[in-house]
Amino acid sequence: MSQSPDAIVIGAGIVGATTALALTNAGLKVLVLDRGSIASGTTSAGEGNILVSDKEPGAELDLALRSRDAWFELADDIGGGFELEAKGGVVVSSSGSESLRNLTSKQRDSGIDARDISSSELWELEPHLSRSINVGAYYPQDAQCQPMLATARVLQAVKQRGGDVVTGSEVLAIENRHGVVSSVVTSRGSYSAPVVINAAGTWAGAIARLAGAELPIAPRRGFILVSVPTPHRIFHKVYSSDYVANVASGDADLQSSAVVEGTQSGTILIGASRERVGFKEGIDYSVVRILAHQAIELFPFLANVQLMRVYRGFRPYAPDHLPVIGQDPIIKGLWHNAGHEGAGIGLAPGSAQLLADTILERHSFMNAAPFSPSRFSTVSSS
Amino acid sequence: MEVRYQVIVLGGGPAGLNAAKYAANAGYEVGLIDAGTRLGGQYWRHTGREEFDQSVHHNFDQGSLLMDAVLANPRITVHSETNIWSASIINDEVVLRTNNGAFITQRLILATGAYDRSLPFPGWDIPGVMTPGAAQSLLKGHGVLVGKRIVVAGTGPFLLPVATGLSSHGASVVGLLEASSKYSWAKNLLELLRNPAKALEGIGYLLALRGRKVEMRFRQAIVAAHASADGSLESVTIANLDSEWKIRSTYKLSCDVAAVGWGFTADTAIAYSLGLALDVDASGSISVVVDENQRARQPNAAIAIYAAGELTGIGGADLALVEGAIAGLAIAGSAQDLKTLKKRRKKLLRFAQALTKVYPVASGWKSWLSEDTTICRCEEISYSDINEAREEFDASDARTIKLLTRCGMGLCQGRICGRTIADLMNSTPQERISSASRPILSPITLGEVAQEGLL
Amino acid sequence: MINFTFEGEPISVEPGTSVAAALLSHGERITRLTRFNSTPRSIFCGIGVCFDCLVEVDGEPNQRSCITTVKEGMVVKVQHGS
Repeated sequence: MSQSPDAIVIGAGIVGATTALALTNAGLKVLVLDRGSIASGTTSAGEGNILVSDKEPGAELDLALRSRDAWFELADDIGGGFELEAKGGVVVSSSGSESLRNLTSKQRDSGIDARDISSSELWELEPHLSRSINVGAYYPQDAQCQPMLATARVLQAVKQRGGDVVTGSEVLAIENRHGVVSSVVTSRGSYSAPVVINAAGTWAGAIARLAGAELPIAPRRGFILVSVPTPHRIFHKVYSSDYVANVASGDADLQSSAVVEGTQSGTILIGASRERVGFKEGIDYSVVRILAHQAIELFPFLANVQLMRVYRGFRPYAPDHLPVIGQDPIIKGLWHNAGHEGAGIGLAPGSAQLLADTILERHSFMNAAPFSPSRFSTVSSS
Repeated sequence: MEVRYQVIVLGGGPAGLNAAKYAANAGYEVGLIDAGTRLGGQYWRHTGREEFDQSVHHNFDQGSLLMDAVLANPRITVHSETNIWSASIINDEVVLRTNNGAFITQRLILATGAYDRSLPFPGWDIPGVMTPGAAQSLLKGHGVLVGKRIVVAGTGPFLLPVATGLSSHGASVVGLLEASSKYSWAKNLLELLRNPAKALEGIGYLLALRGRKVEMRFRQAIVAAHASADGSLESVTIANLDSEWKIRSTYKLSCDVAAVGWGFTADTAIAYSLGLALDVDASGSISVVVDENQRARQPNAAIAIYAAGELTGIGGADLALVEGAIAGLAIAGSAQDLKTLKKRRKKLLRFAQALTKVYPVASGWKSWLSEDTTICRCEEISYSDINEAREEFDASDARTIKLLTRCGMGLCQGRICGRTIADLMNSTPQERISSASRPILSPITLGEVAQEGLL
Repeated sequence: MINFTFEGEPISVEPGTSVAAALLSHGERITRLTRFNSTPRSIFCGIGVCFDCLVEVDGEPNQRSCITTVKEGMVVKVQHGS
């Protein structure tokens, strides 16, 4: 491809891939760059969550709702092939029914299909759920995909439609002329484009700095446990309502609540821990123990199921938990689409559409202001 | 349960046994952790029936003496049937979690050995196709013959004792195939003659086999296996190979077992978990980097971790014994002079390096694969699945292939197919080392993981 | 001697025998059928590394027959899938 595409996307994760596809579908010639291989960062370290159930009403929930539908439209557009499944979510409460019922009521007001269910309905949806858990809600819109395959399929479509993907190319510098982005220098050559999109996820802060901008995105570490393949006994994404509070928490200390689900390959995935410890390598087995304990509280049969693997991810965390979608306040032509924390898979196609609409000055499904990168500079100057 | 030892040794084979013995004799309380039911590792695997054990081993007396010495030593506590599922460093201590509780130390000797290296070929997942190590372990550990008509194939000196053992215990070894050239010995003769005892051992096996009408055929390999109606092995296709191991011509042989191995792979997963420096040689084999005292490199100065035996480079039992002795003495800070041991190690190392030159694995094995050949046995991923991921998605590295196809993500955690994938994808040394990461070293129930009181 | 059953058939072996050794010495080779293609598998590495010789022992799947020692009264079955 020429050295001068219409747009350069930095980051071949799910956010970068869907952004590239949205712009490609709008007729732009897009170049995707990644220092590693495709989906080699946070995208491959998650469970493939496409959730509406875990969000409090607000801008992020509006984005999540649109994005959830956008996933199914995207599957139609590129022909699927990434295990997209509306498996539904079941949220349970161990601390009485009041807080969960309040949440579902607010979520219904925001347009979510959130159903309060009886204990017998709960046990019918999940027959192996602990009988000491009797309060639950059902979210038929919750879905899941295989994020690695999804990224690969989306980038394949980008290439088939005229775009290009260059992996193994680390961005070394992002140059600007009088505050307008001019070129991207990589370990495999230089490119220039009027639009440069920072979709580097957890590493988006470092990319912003290369351009002379600021983006307060920090890693939030999480572990996921993978069981040996077992017969299907968990049918939805099942999690404790504590998870909703944990997602919204800004605390740096460890938070964990079990999020349990079966996969098409037969393994059971157990998340989700969150802690802000920087890019700390290795596995913290005390966190593994807590997750195992919490999972068994939900599904007692798991005590006899073997653990096979643990993996770790660094989620891109912004101080107010909202993704950053929009033009940089200092460097013109530099756009950000990052900071989706643990919801990046679910929010990706919606975020991509919102950013593409903003770049192309089209009317979009929602106002992008809550996600504006300038919100951080406003706070610091006030 | 939490147990602390002054020294912990992992592995009850030649290296681990000697390491434990020497460290204990130097005054330390030693915990010896082993996955097996009896000590001895793969090399001295035995039934406990004296007469039989003597009959299947080349030098069982040496092993028997060493095992007895370890078991009788009051400073050594043996923990058999103990599987480590995680290894980590917490507050300047090594913490090993096992099915029998946690073990903690500041001085660790890794002697976890190696397992057969396998290469995929059409039909290698048919019941009856196995590694030479499997045939050997059933014979040595249980006195069980794995079949009646057996073909032993692959490359390396290990094929000889396996064929000899099977043959002398009543199996008909209908083929003994060495993929390397018969002249590769001659090319490295000088180095090999530095260890005349080993050369004589090899000649002894050849003579014994000749007495049973088993001739080793060179430059031949099993390139396909075929099943009968009930799904078991019925015959194999054997190829004459060129120097690159590409197929020149083939013939068929009926058999009920094919024991096929291509040297060994060290299990470096614990070493990786503990952050030890690892190295990759030209054959793609990963090993732990050690200094002249067998000490491994890792960043925590409060902890001493040593490694001995196959983990530091495939070299056989004699070398493992010497390395174990050096590691045991060195970790104990013993005043004993190591000069003689180190001299012996040097000689054995040169022999081991010469052997790897005699038995290189040539790249032509990749041409034996067909589209439907299984690559990942656990997840049933075929060669065509991998090729599709390569072509459709331009996936060019092993990690991406793994995440797209699930190849290497099954129960064995890539121990069998990981090296194959690395070879097929031309992985860099760094990529090969990263692929040694296995945060859960062996499956453990979530109930055991969740137990309160664990660190 | 230790007595156990495989697929309902009684088998007697010496103490200390592994399930794999017991099955092979009684002519039983197939330990499991794979979970996607239902193809038969048997002992492969023999030393607990490859997880191919899995059997169901007393109702628990994923037991490596090569490193599981036979115990009195054990009920061993071919593992179907996972």
